[in-house]
Amino acid sequence: MKRIAMPRDAWIGVVFLVLAVVYWIAADGIRISPLDGPVTAAGLPKSLGYALGGLSVLLILRSLALRRSVVGRPAAPAPAEEPAEEDEPSALYRHLRAIGMLAFGICYLLVVPYLGYMLSIIGLMLGVALYIGARFGAKPAVIAGLGGLFFYLLFVQVLNVPLPAGIWPSLLGTLQG
Amino acid sequence: MEGLGYAWQALTTTPAIFVAMGGVAWGILGGALPGISPSITMALLLPFTYALEPMTAIVLLASTYVGAEYGGSIPAILIRTPGTNAAAATAIDGYEMHKQGRGGEALGISLICGVIGGLIGLIFLVCLTEPLAKVALVFTPPAYFALGILGISVIASLSEGSLIKGLMAGVIGLMVATVGTDPLSGVSRFTYGSPELLGGIPFILVMVGVFAVSELLVQASEPDWSKTGNMQTRMKLPSLKMHKRLLKPNFIGSTIGIFEGCMPGAGGTIASFMSYNEARRWSKHPEEFGKGSPEAVAAPEAANNTVACTALVPTLSFGIPGSNSTAVLLGGLLIHGLQPGPLLFEKHPDIIYGLFGGLFIANISMLLIGMLILTPTIWLVNRPKPYLMAGIYALIFSGVYTIDHSLFDLVVVLIAGAAGYLMRQFGFPFLPLVLGLVLGYLIEANYRRSLLLTSGDHIVFLQDPVSLGLLITALVFVIGSAWRDIRSARRQAAEGESTEAQA
Repeated sequence: MKRIAMPRDAWIGVVFLVLAVVYWIAADGIRISPLDGPVTAAGLPKSLGYALGGLSVLLILRSLALRRSVVGRPAAPAPAEEPAEEDEPSALYRHLRAIGMLAFGICYLLVVPYLGYMLSIIGLMLGVALYIGARFGAKPAVIAGLGGLFFYLLFVQVLNVPLPAGIWPSLLGTLQG
Repeated sequence: MEGLGYAWQALTTTPAIFVAMGGVAWGILGGALPGISPSITMALLLPFTYALEPMTAIVLLASTYVGAEYGGSIPAILIRTPGTNAAAATAIDGYEMHKQGRGGEALGISLICGVIGGLIGLIFLVCLTEPLAKVALVFTPPAYFALGILGISVIASLSEGSLIKGLMAGVIGLMVATVGTDPLSGVSRFTYGSPELLGGIPFILVMVGVFAVSELLVQASEPDWSKTGNMQTRMKLPSLKMHKRLLKPNFIGSTIGIFEGCMPGAGGTIASFMSYNEARRWSKHPEEFGKGSPEAVAAPEAANNTVACTALVPTLSFGIPGSNSTAVLLGGLLIHGLQPGPLLFEKHPDIIYGLFGGLFIANISMLLIGMLILTPTIWLVNRPKPYLMAGIYALIFSGVYTIDHSLFDLVVVLIAGAAGYLMRQFGFPFLPLVLGLVLGYLIEANYRRSLLLTSGDHIVFLQDPVSLGLLITALVFVIGSAWRDIRSARRQAAEGESTEAQA
């Protein structure tokens, strides 16, 4: 028996439907204040939950209807196999690359309280440059170092932004003490 | 005349002139980088505008928009890679001219026509904005609620992709706007004990995330763009004879730009392609189109630079931005507590007319800056993409931290970036999301105020004539767009059937 896969938009609709239900339940739990008028603080959020749920159902129905019109037809002969473009990266590869890029941001957030702004931003720039395709060597390290110095001077020295200093001030204080 | 006085005062007593020139330069550089759209270029500046005076901040953002629209044409002409979506039409003939050794001429035409288009757009912006804003004086709370609903409906209807996804993005934007302390009753909503969420999720963080961070995530797997190599390109401004030839495409581009800019959701890309087609239709040399016609460069450039000014008409009059870039500009206004509409003209005429003055300076100075900055821009486009992307990532993280000196903000930006990436993958438009977030307070506050007047009876939205008119218009847009969606789906199905029949 031929198995028909559910269309992608239908899956998206299901995910949003679940989200709408969870959101509605959370909205229902919002405290009622004596200051509230005829519409409480939960009024609009609950309406939005209904709206998202309704739209999700519409999206599911639309994608299933489109799918049905395609599946209902006799199967077309298989097209002549076209050679896959070698340069075109697969969807999985693209998503993994994006996750990797995101991971650099997360790593920055994890290390910046300890390493401080300057070292962390140099690390971020070096990591991202190498990740996107810079050749490993002294050049990316020098560029990241100069970039980090530029950002440090701009934000910390010129704009007086108190970016995280890391453990260095306390470490130096301990060593001096 | 009073407005002229405000503009003159703003330009002579504040750093607006220098800020406008700096914004144009930044915009050209950002717009020239493929993948970095005008909205991203502006979003990267948003954190810095907190520290600026409101008028200076708005002039900076608006002139960046103007500069970016021109900047996009530089790589379009030199490497056939449009820096902005709106420059895609310029790439067709601009690159052909470059191949024929006329790249400098194409760049000169693009610059001159961009300046002319920008100035024409500015005239219409000045003439149209205040009268339209005065219309909003008759607005009551139900009308403001209906205006917010109309804004999201129109943008969702006109956005690329399916209407349902556009509306869903708008609803999600409204949902995000409900996080934090309810401004009317003081009740916490969806904060789960987190003090960082009590003030809500600032839309600036969401804008930087969905526009800039999501683009970086996409660029992580994109190959590097082409380079211009060592070829030197010197800009050549058009001669008087050429100016005469470009008169018609300039007129066509500007006229289309005026209409498209004033219509929310249309934007510079549609305007530039429409004007390309119309310029070909009315040209004495239509056979040259696609083979390096100067008219084919002039019309789209005039159009997208006109749009850069006229797109501010609905933004300033009603607070309804028609494009991603104007949404960022609206964000800049709201950051400084400036609510677009008639009251803005009454309370802060200095800012509005200062903005107009700044835009005038931005367009005029683009002529000089465009020529001066060409070599550094080509140098920048020729830099390896990995270093540029790394620099942008570092700029985002450093800039966002300056807003509240909080690492939590960076977490929000990363989450918004990941959400933006998923939205791109699944075909959800950004603008309804951003608009929902920006208009969330306006919609909810006026909804609740309206129901306070009638003790909870929703009939108030139908009794108010302005509200009724706006809601009917919203409904017309939604039904029209739904009908378009259905027809498009049927056509796809029919095309599939005819292909099978042929096979």
